[in-house]
Amino acid sequence: MKKIYILSTLIVIMATSCTKLDVPVESELTPENFPNTPESFVAATGPVFTQLRSSFAVNYWRMQELSSDEAIIPARDGNYDDGGQYRMLHKHSWNPDHPTIKAVWEWGFGGIQTCNRLLSLFESAEESDSKKQTVAEIRTMRALFYFFMMDLYGNVPISASFGSSEQPATSSRAEVFAFIESELVATAPDLSAEIGQLTYGRPTRWLAYVILQKLYLNAEYYTGTPRYTESVAYGDRILSESNLSLVSDFTSLFLPTNGPNSETIFAVPYDANLATGNQFSRFGLHTALQNKYKLPFRPSIALSTIADFYKIFNLAGDERNNTWLAGKQVDFNGNPILVATTNKGLDASYSGPNPNQEINWQLDFTPEMPLRSAATMDVGNDELGKARGVRSIKYYPDENTNPSSRDSNNDVPVFRLADVYLMKAEAILRGAAVTSVNGEMQTAETLVNKIRIRAGAPEVNSITLDELLTERGREFAWEAWRRNDLIRFGKFEGVWGFNPGGQPATYRIYPIPTSEMLLNTKLVQNPGY
Amino acid sequence: MNVLKQFKNGILFAVCLLFSQQLLAQQERPLVKGLVQDTLGKALIGVSVRAINQSTQKSFQASTTEQGLFQFASIPSGGPYDFVFSYVGFVPDTLRNYQVVPGKQITLNVKLKEEPMGLGEVVIVGYGTSSKREITGAITSVSSEEFNTGVFSTPSQLLQGKVAGLNITRSGNPNEKPAVVLRGPSTLRTGSQEPFYVIDGVPGASIDLIAPDDIASIDVLKDAASTAIYGSRAANGVIMVTTKKAKGGATRLSYSTYVAAEQISNTIDMLSGEELRSYLSENGKTASTDDGSNTDWQDEVSRTGISHNHNLSFSGSGEKSSYGASVNYLNNQGIIKGSSLERFIARGYMEQRAFNDRLKLNLNITNSNTNGKLIPEEVYSNMLTYLPTVAVRQPDGSYSEDFSVTRGYLNPVSLIDNNEIDQKTKLFLASGGAKVTILEGLDFTTNVSYQDERIDSNIYYNRLSGLAQNVNGRVIRNTVTNTKKIIESFFNYDQTFGEHGLKLLAGYSWQEDRLGDGFQTTNQGFVTDELSYNNPGLGDPDEGVAVDYGNKRIQTLRLISFYGRANYQFQNKYLFQASLRRDGSSAFGTNNKWGLFPAASIGWLIDREDFMQGLPAISSLKLRAGYGVSGNSAGFNVFTSRLLYASTGRFYYDGKFINAIGPFQNANPDLKWERTSTTNIGLDFGLFNNRLSGSIDVYDKRTSDLLWTYPVSATQYFVPLLTANAGEMSNKGIELSLQATPIDHNGFSWTTAINLAHNKNKMTSLSNNNFELPLIQTAFLGGRGQSGNASQRVQEGYALGSIYTWRYAGKNEDGVSQFYDKDGNLTIAPTSDDFYYIGNAQPKLTYGWNNTIKYKGFDLNFFLRGVMGNKIINGTLADMNAPNNATQTNIPRFTLDEQEPINDNNAYFMSDRFVESGAYLRLDNATLGYTFKTNNRTFRAYLGANNLFVITNYRGIDPEVSMGGVEPGVDNRNYYPKTRSFMLGLNVNF
Repeated sequence: MKKIYILSTLIVIMATSCTKLDVPVESELTPENFPNTPESFVAATGPVFTQLRSSFAVNYWRMQELSSDEAIIPARDGNYDDGGQYRMLHKHSWNPDHPTIKAVWEWGFGGIQTCNRLLSLFESAEESDSKKQTVAEIRTMRALFYFFMMDLYGNVPISASFGSSEQPATSSRAEVFAFIESELVATAPDLSAEIGQLTYGRPTRWLAYVILQKLYLNAEYYTGTPRYTESVAYGDRILSESNLSLVSDFTSLFLPTNGPNSETIFAVPYDANLATGNQFSRFGLHTALQNKYKLPFRPSIALSTIADFYKIFNLAGDERNNTWLAGKQVDFNGNPILVATTNKGLDASYSGPNPNQEINWQLDFTPEMPLRSAATMDVGNDELGKARGVRSIKYYPDENTNPSSRDSNNDVPVFRLADVYLMKAEAILRGAAVTSVNGEMQTAETLVNKIRIRAGAPEVNSITLDELLTERGREFAWEAWRRNDLIRFGKFEGVWGFNPGGQPATYRIYPIPTSEMLLNTKLVQNPGY
Repeated sequence: MNVLKQFKNGILFAVCLLFSQQLLAQQERPLVKGLVQDTLGKALIGVSVRAINQSTQKSFQASTTEQGLFQFASIPSGGPYDFVFSYVGFVPDTLRNYQVVPGKQITLNVKLKEEPMGLGEVVIVGYGTSSKREITGAITSVSSEEFNTGVFSTPSQLLQGKVAGLNITRSGNPNEKPAVVLRGPSTLRTGSQEPFYVIDGVPGASIDLIAPDDIASIDVLKDAASTAIYGSRAANGVIMVTTKKAKGGATRLSYSTYVAAEQISNTIDMLSGEELRSYLSENGKTASTDDGSNTDWQDEVSRTGISHNHNLSFSGSGEKSSYGASVNYLNNQGIIKGSSLERFIARGYMEQRAFNDRLKLNLNITNSNTNGKLIPEEVYSNMLTYLPTVAVRQPDGSYSEDFSVTRGYLNPVSLIDNNEIDQKTKLFLASGGAKVTILEGLDFTTNVSYQDERIDSNIYYNRLSGLAQNVNGRVIRNTVTNTKKIIESFFNYDQTFGEHGLKLLAGYSWQEDRLGDGFQTTNQGFVTDELSYNNPGLGDPDEGVAVDYGNKRIQTLRLISFYGRANYQFQNKYLFQASLRRDGSSAFGTNNKWGLFPAASIGWLIDREDFMQGLPAISSLKLRAGYGVSGNSAGFNVFTSRLLYASTGRFYYDGKFINAIGPFQNANPDLKWERTSTTNIGLDFGLFNNRLSGSIDVYDKRTSDLLWTYPVSATQYFVPLLTANAGEMSNKGIELSLQATPIDHNGFSWTTAINLAHNKNKMTSLSNNNFELPLIQTAFLGGRGQSGNASQRVQEGYALGSIYTWRYAGKNEDGVSQFYDKDGNLTIAPTSDDFYYIGNAQPKLTYGWNNTIKYKGFDLNFFLRGVMGNKIINGTLADMNAPNNATQTNIPRFTLDEQEPINDNNAYFMSDRFVESGAYLRLDNATLGYTFKTNNRTFRAYLGANNLFVITNYRGIDPEVSMGGVEPGVDNRNYYPKTRSFMLGLNVNF
């Protein structure tokens, strides 16, 4: 029996010593082992930028463009209906459950939170100039995300610290405005002033200034207090202090091969394989254009502009007219692009003789989009239906698009020097004093003409605010500014396409998503929703 | 000292433990000896013989040898002695009042009677065995004679329909594992519904290791009173697999084989090329491609699959050792061309006994190699909807392809021929152990197991592949190694004190799984397809195309457990059992590292009561009741509870796109297992000398702390999702099984068994104080224009698999399908606000009915099974019903029968129109065999057929749609057809 006691004791000892549950972490980075080198700190800031690109060129873009007169996705025999989400944007009939409204809120606050997290991470790092700059960069990026969120949703919570279990409450738009303003003013001096590869796609002092210029330009709408003089002042600081200049070739700004240049202040860099999220080549063309642009995939027919907007591309010699495909299409040799179909295949409503007769139809993008079903904003899916709507090749079709994910290489600009000029022109038209920069007296006309000359369009002798809006449409088509512009000009409630117009001002800001209201009970829904 | 001498010869099997031996070694002439046999005179080995001195109350233990002999060498003289003979599966016997006098040998010869049918079977319970009579939980045992026959690649198919409450669904795909759900779903996590498998005592061993022919029996532990001994992994039930072992006596050699021909059991009636052509031309349209062909694509991709299996095994048993080995080869050709499974399993085992059988050593080794050939999923939809007006190949021999129609419209034959998807799995399991009888009745067992699994996945989309267009061939190769190390050590104590019986178990287990150790590489741009995926280095990808290294993460899981169980019985009538397990896991959050899983149950053998003796019709009657708690930690990522960093993609930095590293998962220090408590009450009965027997079980299974990924505020957490325990779910049900032998006369017998199970699943809650969700949308079918629409919801008060979709309201005046909106008005543009509750996918009744008729050497078995009361979402039919798209994709005859107007561009919208009853009755198996016996040799030949008919109103290929996961009962363009097979088999035993 004694032996049994010894045995039992041994087993018990063995068992209790074998209760360790800690296992090695072999293939994961955790807070214990990351970041710990200068390179890993650089990598650690990366999520701010990957977050930005993840939704900028699709979901964020759709909220700013599909709700305006610049872009539309109609249904085609039920295809692209997707629960009506695109027609709700077009007709300003969205509600707090709209999938894009939810996705973009999560995207924006995900970006803000990533910045907050990084700021708390860098707090513990040793003081240095590079730390100072990194912290300023992250705060600027946070201000940019806040600018997007404030522009879209108006009244949003300010969360400036990470990890607090206290949920932030809704702040008024004016408070958010003031927060963005103070952050940018504070951080700008610590940011790099360099233009080039090292700062491309990253926040520079000029980014801080251009956001401020944009903020002040919209101040009257955002807060009720006009700040046009400050807007001009920040524009002038960019014009006088930076080395930025317009590039000579407008279209080069949007090519698949675009990259660091003298005009782009801030762009979201995309790569077809490594940094995905640019899907312009995927959504906005036509199957029959595949060969012309040597696309390694079959482009979809979804996205186009509408006739009302296309009309403004009417200036002789304007290079920007060439960013659209309208009317009968030809290849680079001038030969017609033919679609093999039948009478009935071309037009489902065909009732003439020989419906099945095979025909070759020259691809013809019509600005007008007659509807087959008004309720679903459906233009049909016969060859005529597929070719409804003028297509954009501003983000030029990329033959190196990833054939399976259909992501392209074109970087998407957010702020360009051209916007600095046109914003300054607009601020002057809205009452700010004309200023001189580097000895040049810059009136609204001088500034607009800089843009006109570069595009090869006729110069103006005088310009009104309405004409300036039109010029902004020509210059910044599909650059995600149209909703902002229309609201500032009081034209967001206008009639275009299938949008009846006349909606209440409620729709100038989007609602807080229902899902978010559930998660944070301190949020207050925007008025009218 | 003799003791030392014996030790010299001993083999010490020691792993982190020491053990000692106390031996009784007296070399005198034994005073008491004897022989124990069964009623047929066959020696019984290992019978426990206990001598109890009535005056001193001391007891002595012996057990029978290979020859059935036992002896008490050193029993003190005196008495009177009672000798108690007990053996699992037999009625205990007691010989009373023997006086032991020195020099006078007593010889006792005993014949033990087998327990009445059904109740005497040995049941494998966790860490031990028990007789069925002593069981107090809900356990169903299925022996190899009752197994399904057919072309099976996984052992769970052997049980399909045979166990009440065990719902197994499987398509005809040889590479697809069946979905197994016991007593209703109790988790929301896909892939975590599988029961826990214990193979020959090795917990969590891979079921793919075992050839069906090598299995002796399977015990399904259903209620928590039975499963709680396996703690945090047992909530889905435990399936104990026992492999065949050498039996006493001579060496044995057996060979079994079958060859089977399998065919597609059902196809969908699609239009032929001619029919489509005339349908389109009647409507003034033509097919987008028409080369005059009349292709039946379902026919083109299917074939008669020939499968065969061979199993050769031998075993032998001597006085001190037994051994055995088997090899199994299965070649299972799928009915869809290009799909197949080939598996080779070799297994060997050995047991050595020493020191008067007081030390038993065993070693088991199993190795399994599987080569699976898979086909792309796109085949399943394209074999239905690819235009029948197109030939498989063009006159120049190239595949007809039109990549311009719509993404995913791909020639199904080309899909099979131009994509190679191979999966190789190597599995190795070695387990060794020692069992030491320290004292009579007290055993110590220790087992060490090591399982090594390597899975190689090799894919080549060749230069013609529609799945990798314009890349000139793409290779994806990855390999992963998963290892498991398990040490189990436990004590069993089994003793009877007069009318009291006591069994105790105490144990410790340590397990470490290292999963996901592997990597992936990809390349593309090949000048030739000759080398398939074998030489990725020869690829020339376009500039900028990065290698996809996959996302292989090493996950080390350590699980440490302490467990104990006590069984007490009084007068062989009243049974009590209690067990407790404490599980610690590295996967759980720091605040919940350890969990306790208690269980208790009672049983009452009513038929042994005196008052029952006047009721001879009732041959056995037992009431059982139990309650227990078990957990589900299956599928836990070992790092699920921790904050982790990963690449969040690449970002531009100084001219390059470099990795951004950021958190991708929030920490949840409270993370823990899902907790399931089950109350089970059961009644086992046997009537008319057990000609009719059966069981009824009623259970109430409540799962709490359900895991789900909850949205959390982005202002508080790193990422807006957090995996957390919150929800609750309940399953209540009743199970009935009956076995009867209505006829057993003059060599003719008919036995029949039926089982019925009803389960009611309900999501009790999705929220708790910290996490809240009104509902979860699931089953995003992605039909045309409906990619954002879910068709099922997980919602409080409803069963898992509740179907929410539009309500069809016929056509409007233009012939366009219209639907009811949420206010009941008609609309042709419904939105997701207009969904109605239509029904749910959970069956109300599942049943199986087995019949065996024997006459002399002939046996005939037929087995029917089915389900009732469930709904299936027929997404396949909805999507095909697109008359407006008939120029581009084929339509089913359904579309013509329903006279769908060609301009109806809502016809394919998912709605209650495509929610169908999933009830069916299947003649699952019919087998006719002939057995011929001579001189210990048996020879059996049989003819079998599977899935001879299905009675159902379901309009899809087959109503047996997977019931696994969080979207049960969805048929959505991904169904590998069921098979009908005919087989010829042979078993020979020497």
